[in-house]
Amino acid sequence: MAESISLYIERVLEYLPRMLESLGETGIMLFFAMLAAILMGIPVGTLLYLTSSGQATENRLLNRIINALVNIIRSFPFLLLVVAMQPFIRQVYGRATGDPIAASFPMVVIAIALYARFVEQSLKEIPKGIIETAQSMGATTWQLVWKFLYVEARSSLVIGFTTAVISFVSYSTIMGVVGGGGIGDFAIRYGYQRYETDIMYTAIVLIIILVEIFQWLGLKLAKKLDKR
Amino acid sequence: MIEFDHITKTFKEKDRSFTALSDITLSIHEGEAFGVIGESGAGKSTLLRLINALEKPTKGSVTIEGVAVAHLSKADLRDMQKRIGMIFQQFNLLNNKTVAENVHLPLELHDYPDPLTTEEVLQFVGLEDKKNSYPSQLSGGQKQRVGIARALITRPDILLCDEPTSALDQNTTEEIVEVLKKAHKEFKMTIVVVTHELPVIKELCQRAAIMDQGEVREVIGVKRSDERGNVKPYHERAIEVLSNG
Repeated sequence: MAESISLYIERVLEYLPRMLESLGETGIMLFFAMLAAILMGIPVGTLLYLTSSGQATENRLLNRIINALVNIIRSFPFLLLVVAMQPFIRQVYGRATGDPIAASFPMVVIAIALYARFVEQSLKEIPKGIIETAQSMGATTWQLVWKFLYVEARSSLVIGFTTAVISFVSYSTIMGVVGGGGIGDFAIRYGYQRYETDIMYTAIVLIIILVEIFQWLGLKLAKKLDKR
Repeated sequence: MIEFDHITKTFKEKDRSFTALSDITLSIHEGEAFGVIGESGAGKSTLLRLINALEKPTKGSVTIEGVAVAHLSKADLRDMQKRIGMIFQQFNLLNNKTVAENVHLPLELHDYPDPLTTEEVLQFVGLEDKKNSYPSQLSGGQKQRVGIARALITRPDILLCDEPTSALDQNTTEEIVEVLKKAHKEFKMTIVVVTHELPVIKELCQRAAIMDQGEVREVIGVKRSDERGNVKPYHERAIEVLSNG
């Protein structure tokens, strides 16, 4: 028993540099996905909410277009989205395979669509009375969004973001197919394809720990922000 | 002066339409406290919301000092709304902001010529010790006082009250009515209060419109009973009401 444990530790140490490198690649993909979710997902989700029917800024055409785009992206099986985007990534970035930045493009696209939906849902939970109050004070749409909607929805936005990031982790494990690397790719290559099952499980445990950390941080922050 | 000129308001739902107000003509004088009373569904809240353009009339027009509210440009409407404060049945406070932040909110949206300070207005409603609390830590009556403070801080010319006491118990109702009376006396704005609670109108208003099924049946002058409101503790009143056959 003691012998097999020391053997295991030895093997983990041997693979550690490659494992850390893979984690770094996952980090790059998650970083771009999170950045896109915040910089683009929040505005798109807010636009979905503001243009929906019943709002003062209702705009059916715009709402339908954004809705359709978000639905199309989200209903794409992710692996096919990755493959389908290859020509586009090659055009924009020069290469479509072999590094985590190229692999981040599909992550960015799914991140925007996914988080936009969560943002829309969060905003929908705000009582109508709050919107009415903003209107009665003569708030501009910009003020409504920043001084009322985001203030009241902030903890729900954080919880949605946490859930989205956990999905991003899951999506990132697919990126090995285009040479994007990442911890998921590591698990498949060394663990599955080379029958080094212990290494695969080690990588999976690492992924689980990563998800748990995100979940814990997200809930903690949400709780801190929530004064309701 | 606020004037309703042959106002009709219909709401269209998918397959049918519903007339909330039909052919209403009414004027509310500057500086008076005007009540609108009626059962729920009588259209009184809709009537109130026409004044600050939360609703637009289907027919007719609402004018404030001769200016038709529904036809203002966005900027002019905003200027008009700046002069109108509003309080709500459900208080509509931001739960993630403190009392002081809630009260100060209107001043963050626009410049006002001569606003009160947060301290002054919180003192006026008797909540200066709660300024760092969050709404979830307050009772219903305290929440409504925050709502009133938020409306008063801009020194509005018109104060709209939409069922201000309907979510509150009777003693708290009297407390809120007292605050509104004091505000009327101190700041001399026009108050329009919509409620189904007769004592609120009786205590606060000089005139009242009685509404029924989307129409104003009558506008009457309110006679105030000389007997001062019987502010007894809740348990005493409960015994009084429950034990008297």
